[in-house]
Amino acid sequence: MYYISEQQINFILDDISRRGIKIESLQCDLLDHICIIIEQNLEEGGDFEQFYEATIRTFYKKELREIEEETIFLATLKNHLVLSRNQFFLLLFIVLIGPFIGYDLAWLATSPKAAGWRFPWEIWVPTLIFALYPLLVLLVLFFTPEKFDPLIPKKSMILLGFSPFIKVIPSSSIPTLFPKWE
Amino acid sequence: MTYSTELIKGTLKTIILKLLSDNKKMYGYEITQNVKELTKDQIQITEGALYPTLHALEAEGLVTTEVEYIGKRVRKYYSLSPTGKAKAKEKVKELANFIDTMITLLEIKPKTA
Repeated sequence: MYYISEQQINFILDDISRRGIKIESLQCDLLDHICIIIEQNLEEGGDFEQFYEATIRTFYKKELREIEEETIFLATLKNHLVLSRNQFFLLLFIVLIGPFIGYDLAWLATSPKAAGWRFPWEIWVPTLIFALYPLLVLLVLFFTPEKFDPLIPKKSMILLGFSPFIKVIPSSSIPTLFPKWE
Repeated sequence: MTYSTELIKGTLKTIILKLLSDNKKMYGYEITQNVKELTKDQIQITEGALYPTLHALEAEGLVTTEVEYIGKRVRKYYSLSPTGKAKAKEKVKELANFIDTMITLLEIKPKTA
């Protein structure tokens, strides 16, 4: 049975880290797995580095980092929304125009009397511009025949993470940060 | 004959949960060897499939881990949490039903002794 030295353990750990495995617990799993394979299969006095290279090559298809990417993907999968193409466009539309419509409704609920029951153009024009423009884009995407839309085929499901979704919300709520236009 | 990755991928969670319910605690390499022995080499779990699945089960709270130091390196043992024990039973039952359905669907006659 081959005995792996501390120096060789450090070598393996450095190598798997250099190959893109950054999660500590995953490093521990892989390090132990590789060490057992070497200890059980390499003859005493055998070429450690050559055997290690051959062993690590069997762990992946293209790159070792695939294991970490798959680990992160599976571990965070339950925090994702699975949407159909149409649900995704509907959600995108709501996120884009929601703040403008919300601002208009908030204005209508609080200030029409002070403005002499007038709905000023400063309120509705930006809504029309900023809400209708993405609507037109989305309508085009929505009605594009599948053969011209290879990016998101009609039957595809979209995996939407909460993290990117939450990052989009502040930018779409910019209009609500403006002072009242009067 | 070794089964295809596609077939194994859909059943990997169930296989791991069942093994952990039969054994108190196991480490990654032990799981791969156990499956290999039990299936006479017909199912070979790759490291690229095993560890992401184990970490996903841990993130779901179905397995817990404990570490043991082997010299300078760490060995991580996986065991079922109470939720994991219930889930293991549920998944095995689900897979058994699925196999029955497939036998009916594909009109496969069960082997008689």
